Amino acid sequence: MSEGAVEIKNLVKTYVDDRGRPTFTAVKNINLHIDDGEFMVLVGPSGCGKSTTLRMVAGLEKVTSGTISIGDRVVNDLEPKDRGIAMVFQNYALYPHMTIFNNMAFGLQLAKQKKDYIQETVGRTAKALGLDTMLERKPQALSGGQRQRVALGRAIVRHPTVFLFDEPLSNLDAKMRVQMRSEISKLHVQLGSTMIYVTHDQVEAMTMGDRICVMRDGIIMQVADPLTLYRQPDNLFVAGFIGSPPMNLLKGKVEQREGGLTFVENGEKEKGAVTVPLKGAVQAAASKCVNKNVVFGIRPEHITDQATDGTHIPITSSVEISEPMGSESLVYLKAGSGPLIARIHGEHLFHLGQQLTVQLNLDKAALFDSETENVVR
Amino acid sequence: MTPARKLLLQKILAHSLLIAFIVIILSPFAMVVAASFRKGNFAPSKIFLTPQELSLEHWKFVLGIPYQEVVNPATGETRTIQAGSPPLGWFWNSIKVSAAATIGIILLSGTAAYAFSRIRFKFRRRILTGLLILQMFPAVLMLVAYHTILDDIGQTARWIGLNTHPGLILVYLGGISTNIWMIKGYFDTIPASMEESARIDGASHFQAFLRVLLPMSLPIFAVVFILSFIFFMTEYPIASVVLTNTDTYTLAVGANSFLGEQEKLWGRFAALAVLSGVPITVVFLLCQKFVIGGLVSGGVKE
Repeated sequence: MSEGAVEIKNLVKTYVDDRGRPTFTAVKNINLHIDDGEFMVLVGPSGCGKSTTLRMVAGLEKVTSGTISIGDRVVNDLEPKDRGIAMVFQNYALYPHMTIFNNMAFGLQLAKQKKDYIQETVGRTAKALGLDTMLERKPQALSGGQRQRVALGRAIVRHPTVFLFDEPLSNLDAKMRVQMRSEISKLHVQLGSTMIYVTHDQVEAMTMGDRICVMRDGIIMQVADPLTLYRQPDNLFVAGFIGSPPMNLLKGKVEQREGGLTFVENGEKEKGAVTVPLKGAVQAAASKCVNKNVVFGIRPEHITDQATDGTHIPITSSVEISEPMGSESLVYLKAGSGPLIARIHGEHLFHLGQQLTVQLNLDKAALFDSETENVVR
Repeated sequence: MTPARKLLLQKILAHSLLIAFIVIILSPFAMVVAASFRKGNFAPSKIFLTPQELSLEHWKFVLGIPYQEVVNPATGETRTIQAGSPPLGWFWNSIKVSAAATIGIILLSGTAAYAFSRIRFKFRRRILTGLLILQMFPAVLMLVAYHTILDDIGQTARWIGLNTHPGLILVYLGGISTNIWMIKGYFDTIPASMEESARIDGASHFQAFLRVLLPMSLPIFAVVFILSFIFFMTEYPIASVVLTNTDTYTLAVGANSFLGEQEKLWGRFAALAVLSGVPITVVFLLCQKFVIGGLVSGGVKE
């Protein structure tokens, strides 16, 4: 195994109270392999165990059972400093009583490095991060973006094999966040180190990750590269979590009708419940769940006003809300359970209540089993 | 009434109220200062002295400087008076005991508070609550016990028994639970990520405590230092039971010795009382630059 690869095997974390009684299992037996030099994003809603997993890799939480290896060493019982990792915290965690220079040099000083070396390394890193003019200041005198850059610099000077990021951009304003996002991505290209990045923001996950690990309730839901995750979600949770606006998910049944298999949405037809004849790529999946409860999933951009390549099915419904955004509009169409969101290109204005016929691209649609919540392929 | 006049009136009212309060608070203090400079032995009663009443005799006595006193006004016979065991010695005793006890308190409560704030162990909460409940009993209730305990210890180790400063300091060190609570409360407001970050940087538990948590907590330690120091400088009941030899007296005990059943030497008492305020003021001035807020700000973002 190469130096910076991280292997997580059957990892469990159960928290205990003061008396040692188990209170809460945050991570439930997960397995994850991260390649050397890979940018892996752990994403999920709060409480899904992503931060706990990261903190176990860092050595800040004890592992309940299972193993974590970095390179070919099992690091379960190693001190954080001996694991070859560096971590960037959400709240920066800079030492307020030290200058920026000392903040960045602290780790090297503790490791008893030579003064010249510390001076040189910190100076070079600070210059690369644009911090060289403020080395004598205290963190208090810096803006949020600059502070997070110091935290980044403090991680870089340690030359870790694995970088750990715990929601590092959550405290920054929107503009700064976009800028730091690309800086971290650039850093990954420059250093080529393994990076594990925890976030709850699916946009960050999609834009930064080589691969993304989606978690929920201490379980890994899917691990894949961003596009696979987007195109072929394994389950309802991933389908709903990735993408904004989220994938349309209609509850209903697959029925055998004249002309083939048909998806029939729950609810009355008069109130807008849709029926979709299942053709194209989704037909094969449908044949496996005739007369079963399913969820029909289709992304907003695959509901358009004009049919292009592929298998398209027209449906007509009334407009409930329309959000024109210039080059495209998000149109909320009436359906049986909740709205059906369509992303329609071009500069259009739609009025409420207007009848609109849209084309569903069935080649891009997916069916999920209602019981297991897994995709049917 | 115009708004400007109304505002003026409000200001005058508010200020006179404030000044009244200040006068009420400061006048007893001024009376004690006046009594220390007043000829003869009068209980503190006046704020202003006439030039005829002015005298440095009490201060001279307290500072151990010999001075002449008229014994018989008719013949003009005088005698030289100098304190036997100089009250200045009590002053140093007080400073020694207070400083040592305060430093001990800081060490004990600081480390204990760290454990209570950062380490999870069995009965943590119960011990914390227990400390608080124990503290509710006034220390005076335990005076007899202190006496007995120190007496017993003194049988084997004379230097830490009754009538010794180490013995008194030992008793003082028992009063740490409020300080533990206070410092723990402050530690709790410092995010754990500070020390986690230090540990990733390669610091041991102790290094993280010493180089990161401690410097960030200077304000609370300064507060504890000032409060403890003032308390020990002025503490009377325990000191009076433990210390029975005039040479070992602290200021509070010594000052009280001037107020005998038959003869109340108010002038000397007042001079000593004012003197005891000097080190307290010095400590306060030294510490106050640390008691500024905002020392923690900037390191993290909530």
